[in-house]
Amino acid sequence: MSMSAVQIREFEPPAEAEGVGDPSLANRPATKIEIRKVSFFYGKFQALKDISLPLYDRSVTAFIGPSGCGKSTLLRILNRIYELYPGQRASGEVVVDGENILDPGLDLIRLRARIGMVFQKPTPFPMSIYDNIAFGIRLYEKLPKAELDDRVEASLRRAALWDEVRDKLRQSGLSLSGGQQQRLCIARAIAIEPEILLLDEPASALDPISTQRIEELIAELKVHYCIAMVTHNMQQAARSSDYTAFLYLGELIEFDETERIFTHPTVRRTEDYITGRFG
Amino acid sequence: MAAEHIIKSYDEELSRLSKMIVEMGGLAESQLAAAIEAVIRRDSELAARVVEGDDKVDQLERDLDNLAIRLLALRQPMARDLREIVAALKIASDLERICDYAANVAKRSIALAQSPPIQPVNALPRMSHLALLLIKDVIDAYVERDADKAIVVWNADKELDEMYASLFREFLTYMMEDPRNIGPCTHLLFMAKNIERIGDHATNIAENLYYLVHGTPLIEARPKGDGSSLEVVAPHRPPDQAEAR
Repeated sequence: MSMSAVQIREFEPPAEAEGVGDPSLANRPATKIEIRKVSFFYGKFQALKDISLPLYDRSVTAFIGPSGCGKSTLLRILNRIYELYPGQRASGEVVVDGENILDPGLDLIRLRARIGMVFQKPTPFPMSIYDNIAFGIRLYEKLPKAELDDRVEASLRRAALWDEVRDKLRQSGLSLSGGQQQRLCIARAIAIEPEILLLDEPASALDPISTQRIEELIAELKVHYCIAMVTHNMQQAARSSDYTAFLYLGELIEFDETERIFTHPTVRRTEDYITGRFG
Repeated sequence: MAAEHIIKSYDEELSRLSKMIVEMGGLAESQLAAAIEAVIRRDSELAARVVEGDDKVDQLERDLDNLAIRLLALRQPMARDLREIVAALKIASDLERICDYAANVAKRSIALAQSPPIQPVNALPRMSHLALLLIKDVIDAYVERDADKAIVVWNADKELDEMYASLFREFLTYMMEDPRNIGPCTHLLFMAKNIERIGDHATNIAENLYYLVHGTPLIEARPKGDGSSLEVVAPHRPPDQAEAR
């Protein structure tokens, strides 16, 4: 499939449009991240081909697609976490608030302070619940104890975990249930007050109730952040996201409002995938 | 139809849903045809069978509703699959209404058969012939998921409306000519109105089919051919009164 086949409706954000044209455009949030012609290579294998799409602020964008389509890769580019591995490289631009974060001269520590990430399996550090949150904050800031306490509490509250752990902050983070551990990881990610939150299948290892808690949490968090989420669960993408990008074999097939993607997508391949017709 | 689902039983259930619609469509046609037959032949037994037959349609609609709700709950359909199911629910309720109207016609035919035959009865088959054609065409269009055919039906309803409007005037004339015609003509008028409503339900089905295929509603203004609701009959003034003025 060629680039021209990619469906991105109303790609341009409203900016200075002065309310002209489509009224739905006027309500669209500002673009937080502009992904421009991004390609990605694992050694010689090209995992992403010329991907361009916007990620809007205070919105959730879901990346969906079959295994190996490149959706996790795309997420991993957004905080350059792939650089931890040799032989992996990205081309193109990822512009966050006007700054290309793929620029080699970029301060990675500062970048990752702006972009929090939560993984598929909960990854609490083998330390107390309190320190799980405080650890990240201490990396970036030197706060007095009282302020640090406040920040830990605020993060846990925002991650909807405070009420369950307030009496056992000194217990190990590993003592929590899977769903609680995942919320702990989200609390840790937002403790450093990032602007962008990357969620890589945040609920796929959780039971349905914990999954709903995470989804509810995502709905609350998007008021503050630009959230990008990879999910294999299409119902979850449909429920939790505002925009959806469908990727297939490293190409962006369609990007649109979630409501449209799941009611009448423009591209046949998207429809086949979301209706379970993928051969 | 699109490619097959990975889960085969899902396809089977969707195709069962379609078959039930087609079955209901077939029943709608045969019920209306039999009802008109009963009117023409003054056959009250046949009319009674049509009235009874309505139960079967109602049962079929309930079965379809159950299957559709089950699909919605268990398959969590998206996009075209979702439209298939929602359209089936709506189309089934239109077909059920069509059958109700056919049963109404049959019921009135029993009453009509009790008064002496009158000539304007012969106008009814013309109208019902067109209505039957609309039902048949829209069900064919549904089977083929052919939105263009649906639009043809959608436009053709205008003709049925016009027929109704002209029948309306015709019946009025008969009633004015001889008050003894008022009873049977009123029954005939209601029958004609029932058939005209059947056409409206056929256009509803066409609209739902269009939505099923394209995912967008058919929103142009539909042509209307019936102005009878605005018609006024001026009473004949006795000649001597007219002169006195």
